[in-house]
Amino acid sequence: LFSFFKNITGQREINEEDLTLVLANMKEHLIKKNVAADIATHLCDSVSRTLVGQKIGSFKSIRSIVKQSMESALRRILTPKTSVDLLRDILQAQSESRPYTICFIGVNGVGKSTNLSKTCFWLLQNGFKVLIAGCDTFRSGAVEQLKVHVRNLNALGQNSVVELYERGYGKDAAGIAKDAINFAKANGFDVVLIDTAGRMQDNEPLMRALAKLVTVNNPDKIIFVGEALVGNEAVDQLTKFNQALKDFSGLQNPRHIDGIILTKFDTIDDKVGAALSMAYTTGQPILFVGTGQTYTDLKNMKVGHIVQALLKE
Amino acid sequence: MVLADLGRRINAALAKINKEPVIDEKVLDAVLKDICHALLEADVNVRLVGNLRNNVKTAVNIQDLAAGINKRRVIQKAVLDELCKLVEPGTEPYKPRKGANNIIMFVGLQGSGKTTTCTKLAYHYQRKGWKVCLVCADTFRAGAFDQLKQNATKAKIPYYGSYTETDPVQIAHEGVEKFRKDGFEIIIVDTSGRHKQETELFEEMKQISAVVNPDNTIFVMDGTIGQAAESQAKAFHEAADIGSIIITKMDGHAKGGGAISAVAATHSPIIFIGTGEHIHDLERFEPRRFVQKMLGMGDMTGLFET
Ligand SMILES: Nc1nc2c(ncn2[C@@H]2O[C@H](COP(=O)(O)OP(=O)(O)OP(=O)(O)O)[C@@H](O)[C@H]2O)c(=O)[nH]1
Ligand SMILES: Nc1nc2c(ncn2[C@@H]2O[C@H](COP(=O)(O)OP(=O)(O)OP(=O)(O)O)[C@@H](O)[C@H]2O)c(=O)[nH]1
Ligand SMILES: [Mg+2]
Ligand SMILES: [Mg+2]
Repeated sequence: LFSFFKNITGQREINEEDLTLVLANMKEHLIKKNVAADIATHLCDSVSRTLVGQKIGSFKSIRSIVKQSMESALRRILTPKTSVDLLRDILQAQSESRPYTICFIGVNGVGKSTNLSKTCFWLLQNGFKVLIAGCDTFRSGAVEQLKVHVRNLNALGQNSVVELYERGYGKDAAGIAKDAINFAKANGFDVVLIDTAGRMQDNEPLMRALAKLVTVNNPDKIIFVGEALVGNEAVDQLTKFNQALKDFSGLQNPRHIDGIILTKFDTIDDKVGAALSMAYTTGQPILFVGTGQTYTDLKNMKVGHIVQALLKE
Repeated sequence: MVLADLGRRINAALAKINKEPVIDEKVLDAVLKDICHALLEADVNVRLVGNLRNNVKTAVNIQDLAAGINKRRVIQKAVLDELCKLVEPGTEPYKPRKGANNIIMFVGLQGSGKTTTCTKLAYHYQRKGWKVCLVCADTFRAGAFDQLKQNATKAKIPYYGSYTETDPVQIAHEGVEKFRKDGFEIIIVDTSGRHKQETELFEEMKQISAVVNPDNTIFVMDGTIGQAAESQAKAFHEAADIGSIIITKMDGHAKGGGAISAVAATHSPIIFIGTGEHIHDLERFEPRRFVQKMLGMGDMTGLFET
């Protein structure tokens, strides 16, 4: 009865109990959108912490206040904190007369090679000379896959210059990347795109090999390719890829993932939670989203759209 | 083992019952909350988790349990039953017939592991003495034919495909006809990755299916898939009459809960799981044993006597 009076007399303070049910629903809602369960829990806890004790007008519903608070939390997480201007970085390297190197890494089948090729298409359109380094020396057809892309890409643009540097299968990927970068230097390529084999984050020998490739070649950008279809595994993948780059590098200042390409965005309807899980886990920007299987299906991520999709009933 | 962790958490939740002097609604709710969270973390579909929670509560019906009945047992059995329901469609998997042409078509989302698994499955049957072969009806993905060809060559399995023909329906038709005539027993057809949002790709799948007339269509799902799994699985089932499921990439950390939703969506059993990139990395899947193993339960007979 007392709280009822407080209600109509104007302001009241939000307490934890007010929030319990609304936040439980919010959490389930986020999980339905494919946000990793732990991240959904953390987010709801932090919204609870911000709201408890706040004074609110009597006519505002707890639900709308929670939604508002969640919206700004989501926006904060998804908004890039570092530069996402690859072209500017490449021009910088160009002015130092050295090739800019980008390494694509990730688990099996997420779309590394395809989105590397899309990135290549975009760079060619911007007038850069690109060398693709075929460093997946394991998976059947990996080299031929890149050959086809290079053939297609050369056919697409009149003045496009893109070449494949490959040494077939079974060889040391780190060494091929190194040779490719030297080849690019000697032949005036602006960018080297390094395709790597897919690997499970728990596969230690393969993770060590990846760390070696990164240590030996110190690429300008390490891009993690992750698919929008992935569920809770997103967190484990990113954490362990970063951890491996750190633990197996033997360097004092080890590298980490610099950015993300989120692929297969066209397959998930509004279940866009993986974008949030990945941004939350790494704190790194989502540089592009892959929205299909053709060369033009590489887009910039619109934070507003993701936030909207996440909150949409 | 990938499932050990999920099993451990469900067991830990169930163990809570032992510590409680009185088992009432509140205890049951707490146990269910833990179990549901563990399942959601394993990517099991949110709606299916909700059903599981409600079904256990109905099955246990704690208020009406007479005194003296072992409530812990009742709860444990209800949970086990519901977990089994998640992975058991109640239908028997397709069994190839010796001496006949058994046509198996692979379908699934992009990059789920179809091409790799095609060879693994062919190899599995080859080792058991069947006459097996592979048809590459993926004309879309760059390097698809080379991939299948290299895999097949390593495993010494005859294959069919083309670098010049661009119509997958045509290739599928030719390949299957050729191998049928040659008396192959297991004819496996690999197709391109596709998704429900692209109607043309689904149309193509229907056309391939129509000319190939598969005895079994296998839906390959990536074990790391999250909440988008169910709607994709449903759409594939509606378009291609899925008969079995294979879940791949279970050698990592993933628990495969998302992919499991395909069981309910397609009413089809999971027949194998993929546990690596190599040709041997294919394990048979048996639903009930899987759940028992997950829960670390040896002999289950005791549980069913309540
Ligand atoms: N729908 C859709 N499919 C995509 C997208 N990006 C890649 N794919 C498809 O995903 C499949 C796998 O792509 P790949 O580029 O071979 O993946 P990968 O990560 O290089 O694979 P591995 O090298 O074997 O680990 C292919 O069929 C691609 O066409 C995307 O944005 N949308
Ligand atoms: N670790 C692991 N990798 C796997 C497994 N199954 C497949 N892969 C890998 O997953 C990636 C994609 O496999 P593919 O067989 O090319 O997938 P797909 O479904 O044919 O792809 P598309 O034809 O492009 O749709 C490859 O790198 C495979 O080596 C598995 O069980 N474990
Ligand atoms: Mg690749
Ligand atoms: Mg394939």
